[in-house]
Amino acid sequence: MRTINMRTALLEALNEEMERDETTLVFGEDVGKFGGINKVTEGLYEKYGNRVFDTPIAEPTIVAAAVGMAITGNARPVPELQFGDFAGIAFDEIFNKMGKWRFMHGGQMEMPITLRLPVGIAGGAGPEHSQSPQALFMHGPGLQIVIPSTPYDAKGLLKTAIRDNNAVLFFEHKLLYDMKGEVPEEEYLIPFGKADIKREGSDVTVIATALQVHTALEAAEELAADGTEVEVVDPRTLAPLDMETILSSVRKTGRVLIVHEESKTGGSGAEIAAQIQEEALFDLAAPIRRIGSPDVPIAQNIYLEQFYRPSKEQIVQAVNELMEY
Amino acid sequence: MAEIYKKETQLKDYSKDVLLDFYRTMVKIRKFDEHLIRLMQEGKVSGFYHSGIGSEGLSAGSIRNVLRDEDYIYYNHRGCNQKIAKGVPLSKIYGDFLGTTEGTTRGLGAGIVHSADPSRGVLGQAGTIGSQLGIGIGTAYASKFKGTDQVTVIYFGDGAASREMLHGSLNWAGLYNLPVIYICENNEYAISCHVSETHAVKEHIADWAYGYGISNCVVDGNDVLLMHEATKEAVERAKRGEGPTFIEAQTFRHRGHFEGDPYDYVDGELLKDWKENKDPIRNFVSRMLLDKIAEKQELKTIDQEVEQEILEAIEKAESAPQPEAGRIYEGLFA
Repeated sequence: MRTINMRTALLEALNEEMERDETTLVFGEDVGKFGGINKVTEGLYEKYGNRVFDTPIAEPTIVAAAVGMAITGNARPVPELQFGDFAGIAFDEIFNKMGKWRFMHGGQMEMPITLRLPVGIAGGAGPEHSQSPQALFMHGPGLQIVIPSTPYDAKGLLKTAIRDNNAVLFFEHKLLYDMKGEVPEEEYLIPFGKADIKREGSDVTVIATALQVHTALEAAEELAADGTEVEVVDPRTLAPLDMETILSSVRKTGRVLIVHEESKTGGSGAEIAAQIQEEALFDLAAPIRRIGSPDVPIAQNIYLEQFYRPSKEQIVQAVNELMEY
Repeated sequence: MAEIYKKETQLKDYSKDVLLDFYRTMVKIRKFDEHLIRLMQEGKVSGFYHSGIGSEGLSAGSIRNVLRDEDYIYYNHRGCNQKIAKGVPLSKIYGDFLGTTEGTTRGLGAGIVHSADPSRGVLGQAGTIGSQLGIGIGTAYASKFKGTDQVTVIYFGDGAASREMLHGSLNWAGLYNLPVIYICENNEYAISCHVSETHAVKEHIADWAYGYGISNCVVDGNDVLLMHEATKEAVERAKRGEGPTFIEAQTFRHRGHFEGDPYDYVDGELLKDWKENKDPIRNFVSRMLLDKIAEKQELKTIDQEVEQEILEAIEKAESAPQPEAGRIYEGLFA
């Protein structure tokens, strides 16, 4: 099978969906002629003209306008915020309008928006351009949350997101844009709410998202050499969350480690851990462990950055500790 | 800076049907409001209510006989005025207030905000004041993109005009030349703060539109015909593809911001002047009688018909059941 990077996979998804439905609109800061600061929308403006447009630097207006377009039923907006951190600027529009407009108006309108949000620690971007704010939105009803870890997942999930008639927050880890993976030529979709077992194992369940899926897989290789078999589960969507697959793995291994780049307190792992203990406490042989980034703002210093990102060593150590129970 | 919209209006330039439609709409808005306040006093309606009494001409004039069902409106925090003018059934609006399944939200309940009627271009409203300024331009963008001649009218008060979103919205509207009409219902007070205490403007809020290259004017919002003419020009401009218009409509509320507001921050003499000399309905009646458009009895008959219509709407809304508890789990996703 051919191998492409995640940026190309996302661009293919955008291209195919714009081709498929001519009401699909792509807009945001520098997404037009410039192709987006991460080059995910490169070439779309040349191909689709006014269906791809640059907007002023105005995140609340970008998201609000997407809502106003979507509820007419005449457009399928796929806006981009340059950094996922900027969700903070547009918080009300995302949390209260995108998520709740349909419900609070009695279910009379649809909200086919896919808001793309590049996230993650990358390149010394500092405290307001490096965060992973996805868990904030797990608390907000009406929002579906996607966080892919591979080019294959990214493409299939983005296509599903764009076709969906409900609001989607699509988080893309910036360090994954250049990461390559197998992606078939032929079309496919990946449903929401279906976790993927990236590696099977019988001793410890490691639940990881985005870049951390890869760190967990590296740790699993190392641990396997010492005879510990780790199962790596990638939820792929945090809302809806596939607890069935997670619980089935937990019941098999009895040991759970949750790893994400989100800061630990109130991260998505907190919710996942809470749901596991509600359903499977007596299947556990050990306490549920979590690794997240420290609960302090992300320093600009690129040297310090590595101390925020969960490492292979941390995962190996945590798994070994779990195996002591 | 923004100019005062001036035009000599003559009743004889309008058909009697149109004039009586303006009258009926204004009376409907006022009586709707009075009955809603009664229902609140009877303890049947919870939440906040922002009475639109005193500003009926603004909504009737800018919607009736100029906007079509397919044109969109985003109403403001005195938005029952606009919903009624746009034709949302009264029983459905009362149903939202009463929380019965007759409401547009099928029992979820809504105050002024959150009722919607997409079949009449009423796409809802946010609880957070002024958010419609951003959402409305997306709707206007969608119409332009689709190539229809639909216009979007965004209503907002002087208070909402201080939201940051106004500027993001005006920038898009001007930049993309959108078919959108801003109607700033300037009743001078954002709860207790006078517009002069909260807005940095040369003279009028509409002055801001100049900076964005947007056509604008200041109009007497209590003159239903003047309001109609100003809006009609804006609608025609939008349909010609000449972009947005900002209309600042001057009015005053007869009651406080919310029911229970002591409204003691307004000078009593000033309020009396607005009520007695600038009431949109009273002044329109005087003109119609003077020009012999209608007899007193004819208008009285309309009043009675409207009263009856409202009582029937309330009866329909009240007799509908409260929703089942399971209603809260319906409709989050399509």
